[in-house]
Amino acid sequence: MKFLCIECDEAMKLTETRGPDEGSMTVIFGCPSCGRDIAMLTNAMETQMVRALDVKIGGSSVPAEPMAMVKNTLRDQRDNAPMAQAMPAGKPKSGGSKCPFTGMITEAEEAKQSGMQWTEEAEQRLENIPPMVRMMVRKSIEQQAEEKGYTVIDAAVMDEVKGKIGMMYGG
Amino acid sequence: MKTYKDIVGDGGSDMVGQITEQAGRVQQRMATVKHIVAIMSGKGGVGKSSLTVNLAAAMADRGMQVGILDADINGASVARMTGAGGHQMAGGETGIKPATGHHGVKVMSIDLWLDEAGSPVVWDAPTQKDAFTWRGMVEAATLREFISDTEWGELDYLFIDLPPGTDKLPNMVDLLPQLSGTVIVTIPSAVSQFVVGKSIRMATELLQTPVIGLVENMSAYVCEKCGKEEALFPSGHVAKLAETHQVPYLGKIPFDPRIAMAADNARAFVTEHKETPAAKALLNLAERIGDFVS
Ligand SMILES: Nc1ncnc2c1ncn2[C@@H]1O[C@H](COP(=O)(O)OP(=O)(O)OP(=O)(O)O)[C@@H](O)[C@H]1O
Ligand SMILES: [Mg+2]
Ligand SMILES: [Zn+2]
Repeated sequence: MKFLCIECDEAMKLTETRGPDEGSMTVIFGCPSCGRDIAMLTNAMETQMVRALDVKIGGSSVPAEPMAMVKNTLRDQRDNAPMAQAMPAGKPKSGGSKCPFTGMITEAEEAKQSGMQWTEEAEQRLENIPPMVRMMVRKSIEQQAEEKGYTVIDAAVMDEVKGKIGMMYGG
Repeated sequence: MKTYKDIVGDGGSDMVGQITEQAGRVQQRMATVKHIVAIMSGKGGVGKSSLTVNLAAAMADRGMQVGILDADINGASVARMTGAGGHQMAGGETGIKPATGHHGVKVMSIDLWLDEAGSPVVWDAPTQKDAFTWRGMVEAATLREFISDTEWGELDYLFIDLPPGTDKLPNMVDLLPQLSGTVIVTIPSAVSQFVVGKSIRMATELLQTPVIGLVENMSAYVCEKCGKEEALFPSGHVAKLAETHQVPYLGKIPFDPRIAMAADNARAFVTEHKETPAAKALLNLAERIGDFVS
């Protein structure tokens, strides 16, 4: 499946995945040229198909955990089923989840944890930014806030640095 | 407007890349496995698993390194038959260590994962409804993981005990294009032969995967007292079936209740009753397989 921005005649790029939530996943694609976003919403069956293929929407940057599919999908497993060690040359992945998309979500979460605190209001503002560029903006704000010696990002800090990064969204 | 072909990649997930990587893992793991032999039959209950475990024991008895992949997800029996079932699997350095059955045969089976041996295999899914549409995919992914993520190590033989039917064979050939050959099992009943005829055609015509031959199991009853063979079915039909489909006829394995008893006790019949006609037939079959792959 691929997505095309008809207006720009440009292939859309995956920007974010969410879920699965009650079996449904949200996969967001954005057009790199006009910034328009679209979301693909899967039903439980489609989500299951992806899981069965044992691939990660959003791609995988960590090596697969051995027997990941069996471990994550088989019900009524032995309690002491073998603990995963990393595949060769791989680093262990935070496991235990039943979700085929965890790899990607965990990575996103990890990226989020920069040590910088965000107030609820600031987080809220960030939510208004299209997901495509949200991570970029977040990083950029954090970087600049850090340079200025802040440890907490609130609306005021955002206002202060936003001019610099030419933030045209939200706030 | 651009079409599907004009767009390179899939927008960031690289599904094709991920699937290629999976196949690469299989090949990497199989690099230390000399021969892969699948045991199949279109028919259930004809002795596929019994032959698999006894062939494995026969090869191991000759000093070979042997593994068995129990590809029968919904009717797994190899772990139990080889005594590997009670083993606790452990994570190794590059995957999961297989369990060890009699004669040091390495075993990977869904049974080793289940909380209770004998409980049905249920997969977690957002919906169990329409399971028939995705179940096959999950099973295929499981077999792939069993092959690629088990620390088989150096093996002379990896035997694959396939479930009854023919639907898993294409999957196997896909995963393991280097499959050395398949042994097709039948019993000398007309119905079994009819169904098995289809399996042979699937292997030869559709998949063009090497067939080691057709073996006739439970062909006759050998009287324990006098050693006389009594045919259970009219004989000669299976050999003819092999001829019709131009595959080698690998001979008969007589009926011997000790085959079932040994399996129930997780022991290897073939090495414990070497002097019986059934064991001799099994050893002969192992030899034929050895000749075929070398
Ligand atoms: N040569 C034989 N003599 C006596 N009993 C046999 C022989 N071969 C197989 N059996 C018995 O027949 C039964 C079926 O055998 P087995 O489980 O090996 O068949 P299968 O083809 O693997 O079955 P399934 O299709 O269910 O996987 C078992 O009880 C087994 O012990
Ligand atoms: Mg069987
Ligand atoms: Zn566009």
